[in-house]
This record gives sequence, C-alpha cells and structure tokens, in this order.
Amino acid sequence: MGVTARDVMDTDFHTVRPENTIAEAVKAFKQASEQRRQKVFGLMVTDDRGLLVGMLSLYDMLLLMRPKNIHIWGEMRDIDVTGFIEEACRRARAIRVGDVMTEEVVTITPDTHLLMIVDIMIRKHIRRLPVVDGGKVIGIVYTSTIFYELMERLAG
Amino acid sequence: MAVIDRGSALSGLNVAQAMRKLICRLSRGATIQQAIRHTVKYKINAVLIHDERSEAVGVVSKVNILGGYYAGLPITAPVDAIMVSPPLFCRVDDSLDSVLDHMRRARVQRLYVVGEEPRKVIGVLAYADILGMLYKFCHECKHRTLRELEADCPKKVADEFRVGELMTTTFRAHEEDDSLFQIMETMSANRLRTVLIKGRDGLPRGVVTTTDLTLAYLHGVPASTTARSVMSGPARTCAYGERLIEAVKKMIFWDLDSLYVHKEGVADIVGVVTLAEVARVRSGSCRACMISRIDLNE
Repeated sequence: MGVTARDVMDTDFHTVRPENTIAEAVKAFKQASEQRRQKVFGLMVTDDRGLLVGMLSLYDMLLLMRPKNIHIWGEMRDIDVTGFIEEACRRARAIRVGDVMTEEVVTITPDTHLLMIVDIMIRKHIRRLPVVDGGKVIGIVYTSTIFYELMERLAG
Repeated sequence: MAVIDRGSALSGLNVAQAMRKLICRLSRGATIQQAIRHTVKYKINAVLIHDERSEAVGVVSKVNILGGYYAGLPITAPVDAIMVSPPLFCRVDDSLDSVLDHMRRARVQRLYVVGEEPRKVIGVLAYADILGMLYKFCHECKHRTLRELEADCPKKVADEFRVGELMTTTFRAHEEDDSLFQIMETMSANRLRTVLIKGRDGLPRGVVTTTDLTLAYLHGVPASTTARSVMSGPARTCAYGERLIEAVKKMIFWDLDSLYVHKEGVADIVGVVTLAEVARVRSGSCRACMISRIDLNE
C-alpha cells in the first residue's frame, strides 16, 4: 500500500474550461459521477495548456442558484413562486464557469504524504485535492479515497 | 414620529440577530480582478479587505470598482488602489436602533461586526439583511397597520395597492449608443445601481447595472464601448395600475430588486418600484420602531 498522493490519486478525471457554460459543466459533473460510480461534487477547471486555474464545486453552484433577494422575499410565504426554479436554472445555464469558479485552490504534489493530505483536508475543510506537477493536473485525491485507504490499514 | 419602545416588535433586537456571518474578504495585496470575482460569485456589493494580521483595513465596493474602471486602472492593480479605509464597525451586542442611526448618519449601506477583538470582523450587517427581518417581525406584530382591515377580508389588503402608489420617479435613462463612461457618470452622480437603456425610437431596450459594468471591466471591455454591448435585456417593467402582488411576483421570478413602471404603454416609463418598498408596505409596518423606518434609497 502506498503512502503518498501518487499512490492513491485518481488519474482518470474530468475537467472543464473557464469558458465553458454552467450547462456544459453540469454534463461534465454527470459524466464524472457515472464514471466514478458515485456522486462527484467538484470539478477541476483547467486552461488550454492543462494548467489548473480553479475549481467548480457544489457550493459554487449553490451560490449561483441562490436568489439575490431571497433574504427579503423569503419571508413572504404567501407568494406563489411556481416556475421560479425553472427560470433561475434557465438564467444560470449560460453563465461561464470562469465567472463562478473558486480560483484559490489548495493543491498537493505527487509526493505529499497521506497523513499530510489528511491534515490539509481537515484544516481547510476540503474534500478533494488536485495533484499538481509543474502546474499541470495529473490526478485528484478525494476524502473518500483517503478514508478507504486508511480503513484497509486499520483493518490490519 | 416618536419612537415607541414598549410593545414594539423590532426594538430590543441586536446586531447578533440580524447579521450575516459569511464575510467575503481579501488581503490588501489582492487584485481588482479578484474583488470583482468575489462580488459576482457571492452576489454582494462589497468585499472586506484585511492586512497580514487578518485585521480589517478597508472595504472595496462595486462603486469603488467602477471608480477604477472609469479611471482606467488595470484589473491587475491591487485593491489598495481603490479601497475605502477604514471600514465602519459596530459591536455584536449593539442594538439595531443605534446601529441604523449610525448607518444613516454615515450614509453607508453596511457595517462590519466585531466581537471581543476590535478589527477582527465576525460578521456583516447590511440594510438588506434588516429588511427581511422587518417584514417577518412587522407582519406578526399586533401593531401591524393592516391587521384590522384584513380581519374580515380574505384578501391581503396590501396586495390591492397599485404600483403607482409606491413608485419613485427617480430614475435615469441613456441611449444604446452612449458610452459606459457616460453611464458610470450618471450612476455616480445619482447614486444609482441601474440605468435604463433606450433605443433611438425611445423604446426601452434593456438596462445596465453595476454588475454588468463590473463584468465588462473583468472581461476587458473598454469603457468607451457603447451601452448596447453590455446591457442586460429586456428591461423588466410593470404597469402603473398593476396590483402590487403581481409586481412582487415579477421581481421574484426575474430575481430583481426593482422594476421600471410604465403608464401609457411600454415606451412611457414613469418611475421605478423597488422590492424594498413593496416589502415595507406588505409588512404593514406601523413605523413606530426606528428600524421599520429604514430607507434603502437614502
């Protein structure tokens, strides 16, 4: 069993570009989830040279969908808001990934130790860490991967 | 109007009950580009700037960002170049009454909340956050002005008001061929966040908002460009005689905080109705508490 990022990272991953739309990103989310056979909640964003430029996460998508004035009209429970979600989705589809992604991405190198990865994930509340070599993304490590790796060791 | 403290639903509330804990912040070395991304991503009007000791040192608002755009600053310039310093603070246990008074006198839309350590910000309190609370409390308050009227009436009385009774006539329009420079001048001179854009035929074509302008800045659009290239369309309107409830539904559906009001046809724009004013009327606020008298348009 390996002890570094290189040993546990997932090298088969999906990415999106900053110029992709949210509609295109959603398709990529679905494909990634099908491939991994579990739900994926974040995608790396790379430029045309394969360099990591950001991350598009579940939280970023929720921020996009959150209505700007919900804190004002959210208390008006008697208003019929039928169709609102569909309209909000229609508006969101054309938004560029680059305008909503998180640019400040914490990354690790292929040689980062497993327990260091655990520490980063806990301190930064992060569930996925891109593995970067020379600026280029070569893999990704998920919390679940670390969990199962440690479970194997704990089982003895 | 005298402030009546006893029995008032809103008096007695403090900052902790109204503030938001999510604070968007950047270090003073961050760029204008990063500040723009934050305002767009979090749908906020301002970002807190902190120093290397994590102490709050300034604020960058959309107004400041547009100042940088107007002045031709590159988006890679540090936020230091456009921030307003220092930020204005309040304490987490301050009363909302006193804090709103402070906001009015200082003519600001938000205050940053500190706890035990001064300059270590733990939250933000904006006018808009208080407005939802206003609706919730006034709506349930025994002093609610519409309570007696509605007692025997199945309909909500406030919803029968017409848009024309609430609108403000303060709005500005530009033509499609006017430059973004001209639009920014208008916004700055009139403290507006939206400008109506008309075609040569006088018909409304769209709007230019502060968000549209900050995105144009982010995407490298020269400020000499015409309004046509960055405007959001179409301009959303409601009729002068339209029921308030219908106007509210439109604002919610389109996620807007205001609608232009037309009278004799779509080309005859006569004013603007805001979600803030509608929320106040629908709450049935008696306006006895100072908090209920907040005005986002000040």
